[in-house]
Amino acid sequence: MRKILPALLLSFFVFSTPILGQEFNFQKAYEDYLFNYNQYRQSYSDFVAAKEAYLTYQTLTSKNTALEKTQKMLKNEDEVIRTYLTALRMKIAETAGITNDEQSILYLKLDNEVSWYGKHKDSLSSAATLEDLVSSSKKMSDQYKNTEVLTYQTLGTILSGKENDFRNQINTKIQDLKGKIGEIRQKGDKDTSLSERWLLEAENRLTRSQEKQFAAQQILAKIKSTNTDKNQSYNKAQFSLEESHQYLKEANSYLREVIREIKSAD
Amino acid sequence: MPTEIADQNFENIPFEEEKIANKKVAGKPIFIFAGIFGGLLVILLSMAIFFSLQQGKIMPNTKSTPTPTPTLEIKEEITAPSPYATDSAVLKMEEEIKNLDQQITSADLKEAGLNPPVLEMNIKFEK
Repeated sequence: MRKILPALLLSFFVFSTPILGQEFNFQKAYEDYLFNYNQYRQSYSDFVAAKEAYLTYQTLTSKNTALEKTQKMLKNEDEVIRTYLTALRMKIAETAGITNDEQSILYLKLDNEVSWYGKHKDSLSSAATLEDLVSSSKKMSDQYKNTEVLTYQTLGTILSGKENDFRNQINTKIQDLKGKIGEIRQKGDKDTSLSERWLLEAENRLTRSQEKQFAAQQILAKIKSTNTDKNQSYNKAQFSLEESHQYLKEANSYLREVIREIKSAD
Repeated sequence: MPTEIADQNFENIPFEEEKIANKKVAGKPIFIFAGIFGGLLVILLSMAIFFSLQQGKIMPNTKSTPTPTPTLEIKEEITAPSPYATDSAVLKMEEEIKNLDQQITSADLKEAGLNPPVLEMNIKFEK
Protein backbone atom coordinates (compact mmCIF):
# COMPACT_ATOMS: atom_id res chain seq x y z
CA MET A 1 0.00 0.00 0.00
CA ARG A 2 2.83 2.39 0.82
CA LYS A 3 4.13 1.95 -2.70
CA ILE A 4 0.80 2.05 -4.50
CA LEU A 5 -0.72 5.13 -2.88
CA PRO A 6 2.03 7.63 -3.80
CA ALA A 7 2.08 6.23 -7.33
CA LEU A 8 -1.66 6.70 -7.69
CA LEU A 9 -1.53 10.23 -6.28
CA LEU A 10 1.36 11.10 -8.59
CA SER A 11 -0.51 9.79 -11.62
CA PHE A 12 -3.56 11.84 -10.60
CA PHE A 13 -1.56 15.06 -10.52
CA VAL A 14 0.31 14.25 -13.73
CA PHE A 15 -2.90 13.60 -15.67
CA SER A 16 -4.86 16.43 -14.13
CA THR A 17 -2.17 19.11 -14.60
CA PRO A 18 -2.88 19.76 -18.32
CA ILE A 19 -6.56 20.32 -17.52
CA LEU A 20 -6.03 22.54 -14.48
CA GLY A 21 -2.97 24.40 -15.74
CA GLN A 22 -4.42 25.93 -18.92
CA GLU A 23 -3.07 29.36 -19.71
CA PHE A 24 -5.66 32.08 -19.21
CA ASN A 25 -5.73 34.19 -22.34
CA PHE A 26 -8.35 35.95 -24.45
CA GLN A 27 -9.44 32.72 -26.16
CA LYS A 28 -10.00 30.99 -22.82
CA ALA A 29 -11.82 34.04 -21.41
CA TYR A 30 -14.00 34.22 -24.51
CA GLU A 31 -14.87 30.52 -24.23
CA ASP A 32 -15.80 31.05 -20.57
CA TYR A 33 -18.07 33.91 -21.63
CA LEU A 34 -19.80 31.86 -24.34
CA PHE A 35 -20.26 28.96 -21.94
CA ASN A 36 -21.86 31.24 -19.35
CA TYR A 37 -24.00 32.89 -22.01
CA ASN A 38 -25.39 29.48 -22.97
CA GLN A 39 -26.07 28.72 -19.32
CA TYR A 40 -27.86 32.04 -18.97
CA ARG A 41 -30.06 31.46 -22.02
CA GLN A 42 -31.09 28.07 -20.65
CA SER A 43 -31.88 29.54 -17.24
CA TYR A 44 -33.77 32.39 -18.87
CA SER A 45 -36.08 29.91 -20.67
CA ASP A 46 -36.68 28.17 -17.32
CA PHE A 47 -37.40 31.52 -15.70
CA VAL A 48 -39.96 32.48 -18.38
CA ALA A 49 -41.75 29.13 -17.95
CA ALA A 50 -41.74 29.42 -14.14
CA LYS A 51 -42.98 33.00 -14.28
CA GLU A 52 -45.84 32.04 -16.61
CA ALA A 53 -46.81 29.14 -14.34
CA TYR A 54 -46.80 31.38 -11.27
CA LEU A 55 -48.85 34.13 -12.93
CA THR A 56 -51.36 31.54 -14.14
CA TYR A 57 -51.78 29.32 -11.06
CA GLN A 58 -50.64 31.60 -8.18
CA THR A 59 -49.88 28.57 -6.00
CA LEU A 60 -47.22 28.39 -3.33
CA THR A 61 -45.34 25.70 -5.25
CA SER A 62 -45.31 27.75 -8.44
CA LYS A 63 -44.19 30.78 -6.42
CA ASN A 64 -41.29 28.87 -4.90
CA THR A 65 -40.30 27.54 -8.31
CA ALA A 66 -40.46 31.05 -9.76
CA LEU A 67 -38.28 32.32 -6.90
CA GLU A 68 -35.70 29.60 -7.48
CA LYS A 69 -35.60 30.02 -11.28
CA THR A 70 -35.45 33.81 -11.10
CA GLN A 71 -32.60 33.67 -8.63
CA LYS A 72 -30.68 31.26 -10.84
CA MET A 73 -31.30 33.33 -13.97
CA LEU A 74 -30.14 36.56 -12.30
CA LYS A 75 -27.02 34.88 -10.95
CA ASN A 76 -26.21 33.60 -14.43
CA GLU A 77 -26.83 37.09 -15.82
CA ASP A 78 -24.26 38.50 -13.39
CA GLU A 79 -21.83 35.80 -14.43
CA VAL A 80 -22.35 36.51 -18.14
CA ILE A 81 -21.51 40.18 -17.64
CA ARG A 82 -18.50 39.36 -15.46
CA THR A 83 -17.04 36.89 -17.97
CA TYR A 84 -17.81 39.23 -20.89
CA LEU A 85 -15.95 42.10 -19.22
CA THR A 86 -13.07 39.74 -18.42
CA ALA A 87 -12.92 38.72 -22.10
CA LEU A 88 -12.76 42.41 -23.07
CA ARG A 89 -9.96 42.91 -20.54
CA MET A 90 -7.97 40.06 -22.05
CA LYS A 91 -8.59 41.41 -25.56
CA ILE A 92 -7.14 44.76 -24.53
CA ALA A 93 -4.07 43.00 -23.15
CA GLU A 94 -3.53 41.16 -26.45
CA THR A 95 -4.20 44.09 -28.82
CA ALA A 96 -1.20 45.99 -30.06
CA GLY A 97 -1.47 49.75 -30.48
CA ILE A 98 -3.21 50.55 -27.19
CA THR A 99 -1.11 52.81 -24.98
CA ASN A 100 -0.23 51.81 -21.43
CA ASP A 101 -2.23 54.73 -20.05
CA GLU A 102 -5.34 53.70 -21.98
CA GLN A 103 -4.84 50.12 -20.81
CA SER A 104 -4.49 51.10 -17.16
CA ILE A 105 -7.59 53.29 -17.17
CA LEU A 106 -9.72 50.64 -18.84
CA TYR A 107 -8.41 47.86 -16.57
CA LEU A 108 -9.38 49.90 -13.54
CA LYS A 109 -12.88 50.62 -14.86
CA LEU A 110 -13.45 47.04 -16.00
CA ASP A 111 -12.22 45.61 -12.70
CA ASN A 112 -14.61 47.86 -10.79
CA GLU A 113 -17.50 46.63 -12.92
CA VAL A 114 -16.49 42.98 -12.52
CA SER A 115 -16.34 43.50 -8.78
CA TRP A 116 -19.81 45.12 -8.72
CA TYR A 117 -21.44 42.19 -10.52
CA GLY A 118 -19.61 39.74 -8.25
CA LYS A 119 -21.06 41.42 -5.16
CA HIS A 120 -24.48 41.64 -6.77
CA LYS A 121 -24.40 37.92 -7.52
CA ASP A 122 -23.54 37.16 -3.89
CA SER A 123 -26.34 39.39 -2.65
CA LEU A 124 -28.90 37.40 -4.65
CA SER A 125 -28.47 34.42 -2.32
CA SER A 126 -30.05 36.37 0.53
CA ALA A 127 -33.15 37.33 -1.48
CA ALA A 128 -36.15 35.70 0.19
CA THR A 129 -39.06 36.93 -1.91
CA LEU A 130 -39.86 37.66 -5.54
CA GLU A 131 -40.05 41.35 -4.64
CA ASP A 132 -36.44 41.20 -3.39
CA LEU A 133 -35.38 39.72 -6.72
CA VAL A 134 -37.31 42.30 -8.75
CA SER A 135 -35.63 45.05 -6.76
CA SER A 136 -32.23 43.40 -7.25
CA SER A 137 -32.85 43.13 -10.97
CA LYS A 138 -33.67 46.84 -11.09
CA LYS A 139 -30.33 47.62 -9.44
CA MET A 140 -28.55 45.52 -12.02
CA SER A 141 -30.44 47.18 -14.84
CA ASP A 142 -29.36 50.63 -13.60
CA GLN A 143 -25.76 49.52 -13.27
CA TYR A 144 -25.78 47.94 -16.73
CA LYS A 145 -26.47 51.34 -18.31
CA ASN A 146 -23.02 52.45 -17.11
CA THR A 147 -21.48 49.13 -18.05
CA GLU A 148 -22.77 49.48 -21.61
CA VAL A 149 -20.99 52.82 -22.00
CA LEU A 150 -17.77 51.25 -20.79
CA THR A 151 -18.12 48.25 -23.12
CA TYR A 152 -18.68 50.40 -26.21
CA GLN A 153 -15.76 52.64 -25.29
CA THR A 154 -13.58 49.58 -24.68
CA LEU A 155 -14.58 48.07 -28.03
CA GLY A 156 -13.77 51.40 -29.69
CA THR A 157 -10.35 51.43 -28.00
CA ILE A 158 -9.65 47.89 -29.22
CA LEU A 159 -10.49 48.79 -32.82
CA SER A 160 -8.56 52.08 -32.55
CA GLY A 161 -5.60 50.14 -31.16
CA LYS A 162 -5.54 48.01 -34.29
CA GLU A 163 -5.61 51.13 -36.44
CA ASN A 164 -2.81 52.72 -34.40
CA ASP A 165 -0.70 49.63 -34.86
CA PHE A 166 -1.15 49.61 -38.65
CA ARG A 167 -0.55 53.35 -38.85
CA ASN A 168 2.67 53.03 -36.86
CA GLN A 169 3.86 50.24 -39.12
CA ILE A 170 3.08 52.25 -42.27
CA ASN A 171 4.81 55.28 -40.76
CA THR A 172 7.92 53.18 -40.09
CA LYS A 173 7.90 52.05 -43.74
CA ILE A 174 7.54 55.66 -44.89
CA GLN A 175 10.59 56.63 -42.84
CA ASP A 176 12.57 53.68 -44.27
CA LEU A 177 11.61 54.66 -47.82
CA LYS A 178 12.46 58.31 -47.14
CA GLY A 179 15.93 57.19 -46.08
CA LYS A 180 16.38 55.09 -49.20
CA ILE A 181 15.09 57.84 -51.50
CA GLY A 182 17.46 60.33 -49.84
CA GLU A 183 20.31 57.93 -50.51
CA ILE A 184 19.30 57.60 -54.20
CA ARG A 185 18.95 61.36 -54.55
CA GLN A 186 22.46 61.84 -53.22
CA LYS A 187 23.89 59.36 -55.70
CA GLY A 188 22.04 61.15 -58.47
CA ASP A 189 21.60 58.07 -60.67
CA LYS A 190 17.79 58.21 -60.59
CA ASP A 191 15.05 60.84 -60.50
CA THR A 192 13.24 60.58 -57.15
CA SER A 193 10.56 63.28 -57.58
CA LEU A 194 7.75 60.83 -58.43
CA SER A 195 8.61 58.56 -55.50
CA GLU A 196 8.61 61.56 -53.18
CA ARG A 197 5.17 62.59 -54.44
CA TRP A 198 3.81 59.10 -53.72
CA LEU A 199 5.30 59.27 -50.23
CA LEU A 200 3.64 62.62 -49.65
CA GLU A 201 0.30 61.15 -50.72
CA ALA A 202 0.81 58.22 -48.36
CA GLU A 203 1.45 60.65 -45.49
CA ASN A 204 -1.71 62.57 -46.41
CA ARG A 205 -3.71 59.34 -46.22
CA LEU A 206 -2.25 58.62 -42.79
CA THR A 207 -3.36 62.06 -41.59
CA ARG A 208 -6.88 61.51 -42.94
CA SER A 209 -6.97 58.10 -41.31
CA GLN A 210 -6.01 59.71 -38.00
CA GLU A 211 -8.76 62.31 -38.42
CA LYS A 212 -11.41 59.64 -39.01
CA GLN A 213 -10.21 57.74 -35.97
CA PHE A 214 -10.36 60.89 -33.89
CA ALA A 215 -13.95 61.46 -35.08
CA ALA A 216 -14.82 57.92 -33.95
CA GLN A 217 -13.29 58.54 -30.54
CA GLN A 218 -15.30 61.75 -30.21
CA ILE A 219 -18.54 59.87 -30.91
CA LEU A 220 -17.66 57.22 -28.32
CA ALA A 221 -16.69 59.79 -25.71
CA LYS A 222 -20.11 61.43 -26.03
CA ILE A 223 -22.06 58.25 -25.20
CA LYS A 224 -23.88 58.67 -21.90
CA SER A 225 -25.48 56.09 -19.65
CA THR A 226 -28.86 57.75 -20.13
CA ASN A 227 -28.70 57.42 -23.94
CA THR A 228 -31.10 54.91 -25.37
CA ASP A 229 -29.28 54.69 -28.70
CA LYS A 230 -25.84 53.66 -27.46
CA ASN A 231 -25.66 50.94 -30.07
CA GLN A 232 -26.33 53.40 -32.89
CA SER A 233 -23.59 55.71 -31.65
CA TYR A 234 -21.20 52.78 -31.54
CA ASN A 235 -22.16 51.80 -35.11
CA LYS A 236 -21.40 55.36 -36.26
CA ALA A 237 -18.02 55.23 -34.55
CA GLN A 238 -17.32 51.86 -36.12
CA PHE A 239 -18.19 53.22 -39.56
CA SER A 240 -15.78 56.11 -39.03
CA LEU A 241 -13.08 53.59 -38.06
CA GLU A 242 -13.78 51.64 -41.26
CA GLU A 243 -13.22 54.82 -43.24
CA SER A 244 -10.00 55.35 -41.31
CA HIS A 245 -8.99 51.82 -42.26
CA GLN A 246 -9.71 52.52 -45.92
CA TYR A 247 -7.23 55.41 -45.83
CA LEU A 248 -4.64 53.11 -44.32
CA LYS A 249 -5.15 50.66 -47.18
CA GLU A 250 -4.63 53.48 -49.66
CA ALA A 251 -1.53 54.72 -47.85
CA ASN A 252 0.02 51.26 -47.99
CA SER A 253 -0.87 50.85 -51.68
CA TYR A 254 1.00 54.11 -52.37
CA LEU A 255 4.07 52.65 -50.70
CA ARG A 256 3.90 49.79 -53.19
CA GLU A 257 3.88 52.43 -55.93
CA VAL A 258 6.99 54.00 -54.41
CA ILE A 259 8.78 50.64 -54.54
CA ARG A 260 7.65 50.14 -58.13
CA GLU A 261 8.96 53.60 -59.02
CA ILE A 262 12.31 52.97 -57.33
CA LYS A 263 12.71 49.68 -59.19
CA SER A 264 11.85 51.23 -62.60
CA ALA A 265 14.37 53.09 -64.70
CA ASP A 266 13.65 56.77 -65.58
CA MET B 1 -19.71 -53.07 15.88
CA PRO B 2 -21.92 -50.25 14.80
CA THR B 3 -20.12 -47.28 13.37
CA GLU B 4 -20.84 -43.93 15.03
CA ILE B 5 -21.91 -41.17 12.75
CA ALA B 6 -21.19 -37.81 14.23
CA ASP B 7 -23.84 -35.09 13.89
CA GLN B 8 -22.71 -32.74 11.24
CA ASN B 9 -24.36 -29.57 9.98
CA PHE B 10 -23.36 -29.77 6.36
CA GLU B 11 -25.13 -26.54 5.43
CA ASN B 12 -22.84 -24.46 7.62
CA ILE B 13 -19.64 -26.03 6.45
CA PRO B 14 -17.99 -23.48 4.14
CA PHE B 15 -16.76 -24.67 0.81
CA GLU B 16 -13.04 -24.94 0.38
CA GLU B 17 -12.96 -22.23 -2.34
CA GLU B 18 -14.97 -19.87 -0.18
CA LYS B 19 -12.56 -20.42 2.66
CA ILE B 20 -9.61 -19.57 0.46
CA ALA B 21 -11.33 -16.51 -0.88
CA ASN B 22 -12.25 -15.29 2.58
CA LYS B 23 -8.72 -15.87 3.72
CA LYS B 24 -7.31 -13.91 0.78
CA VAL B 25 -9.70 -11.02 1.24
CA ALA B 26 -9.23 -10.88 4.94
CA GLY B 27 -5.49 -11.07 4.56
CA LYS B 28 -5.17 -8.22 2.05
CA PRO B 29 -7.56 -5.30 2.73
CA ILE B 30 -4.95 -3.16 1.09
CA PHE B 31 -6.14 -4.31 -2.32
CA ILE B 32 -9.75 -3.38 -1.58
CA PHE B 33 -8.68 0.11 -0.60
CA ALA B 34 -6.40 0.47 -3.60
CA GLY B 35 -9.17 -0.81 -5.86
CA ILE B 36 -11.71 1.68 -4.55
CA PHE B 37 -9.22 4.53 -4.72
CA GLY B 38 -8.17 3.57 -8.23
CA GLY B 39 -11.80 3.31 -9.34
CA LEU B 40 -12.60 6.75 -7.93
CA LEU B 41 -9.55 8.18 -9.65
CA VAL B 42 -10.60 6.78 -13.01
CA ILE B 43 -14.15 8.14 -12.56
CA LEU B 44 -12.84 11.59 -11.59
CA LEU B 45 -10.45 11.72 -14.52
CA SER B 46 -13.09 10.58 -17.01
CA MET B 47 -15.53 13.15 -15.63
CA ALA B 48 -12.96 15.93 -15.95
CA ILE B 49 -12.19 14.94 -19.54
CA PHE B 50 -15.88 14.49 -20.39
CA PHE B 51 -16.85 17.92 -19.04
CA SER B 52 -13.94 19.67 -20.69
CA LEU B 53 -15.00 18.08 -24.00
CA GLN B 54 -18.65 18.94 -23.40
CA GLN B 55 -17.69 22.52 -22.68
CA GLY B 56 -16.02 22.68 -26.05
CA LYS B 57 -19.06 21.11 -27.75
CA ILE B 58 -21.68 23.34 -26.15
CA MET B 59 -20.01 26.54 -27.15
CA PRO B 60 -20.99 27.57 -30.63
CA ASN B 61 -18.12 28.89 -32.60
CA THR B 62 -19.62 32.29 -33.17
CA LYS B 63 -16.28 33.81 -33.92
CA SER B 64 -16.19 33.06 -37.58
CA THR B 65 -12.99 33.74 -39.36
CA PRO B 66 -13.68 34.70 -42.93
CA THR B 67 -11.60 32.91 -45.46
CA PRO B 68 -9.36 35.36 -47.22
CA THR B 69 -10.79 36.53 -50.51
CA PRO B 70 -8.72 35.06 -53.31
CA THR B 71 -7.00 37.86 -55.08
CA LEU B 72 -5.64 37.70 -58.54
CA GLU B 73 -1.94 38.26 -58.10
CA ILE B 74 -0.84 40.25 -61.07
CA LYS B 75 2.87 40.11 -61.42
CA GLU B 76 3.93 43.66 -62.01
CA GLU B 77 6.65 43.28 -64.50
CA ILE B 78 9.11 46.08 -64.74
CA THR B 79 10.19 46.30 -68.36
CA ALA B 80 13.01 48.76 -67.75
CA PRO B 81 14.56 48.07 -64.34
CA SER B 82 16.57 50.66 -62.49
CA PRO B 83 19.87 49.90 -60.70
CA TYR B 84 17.75 49.49 -57.54
CA ALA B 85 15.54 46.71 -58.92
CA THR B 86 17.74 44.10 -57.27
CA ASP B 87 18.80 46.18 -54.26
CA SER B 88 18.45 43.97 -51.18
CA ALA B 89 17.13 46.81 -48.98
CA VAL B 90 14.47 47.70 -51.55
CA LEU B 91 13.45 44.05 -52.00
CA LYS B 92 13.21 43.64 -48.23
CA MET B 93 10.98 46.71 -47.93
CA GLU B 94 8.86 45.46 -50.83
CA GLU B 95 8.28 42.17 -49.02
CA GLU B 96 7.43 43.90 -45.74
CA ILE B 97 4.97 46.26 -47.43
CA LYS B 98 3.31 43.30 -49.16
CA ASN B 99 2.93 41.48 -45.83
CA LEU B 100 1.53 44.60 -44.20
CA ASP B 101 -0.93 44.92 -47.07
CA GLN B 102 -2.22 41.41 -46.37
CA GLN B 103 -2.54 42.16 -42.65
CA ILE B 104 -4.48 45.36 -43.30
CA THR B 105 -6.79 43.64 -45.80
CA SER B 106 -7.58 40.71 -43.51
CA ALA B 107 -8.00 42.79 -40.31
CA ASP B 108 -11.31 42.31 -38.51
CA LEU B 109 -12.60 45.82 -37.90
CA LYS B 110 -15.98 44.74 -36.57
CA GLU B 111 -15.16 42.21 -33.86
CA ALA B 112 -18.80 41.15 -34.03
CA GLY B 113 -18.18 38.34 -31.54
CA LEU B 114 -17.36 40.94 -28.90
CA ASN B 115 -20.60 42.89 -29.17
CA PRO B 116 -22.38 43.14 -25.79
CA PRO B 117 -24.60 40.16 -24.90
CA VAL B 118 -28.36 40.48 -25.28
CA LEU B 119 -29.76 40.30 -21.74
CA GLU B 120 -33.19 40.66 -20.23
CA MET B 121 -33.01 43.36 -17.60
CA ASN B 122 -35.51 44.69 -15.12
CA ILE B 123 -37.78 41.69 -14.67
CA LYS B 124 -41.39 42.06 -13.58
CA PHE B 125 -44.02 39.66 -12.29
CA GLU B 126 -47.02 41.18 -13.99
CA LYS B 127 -49.27 39.91 -16.74
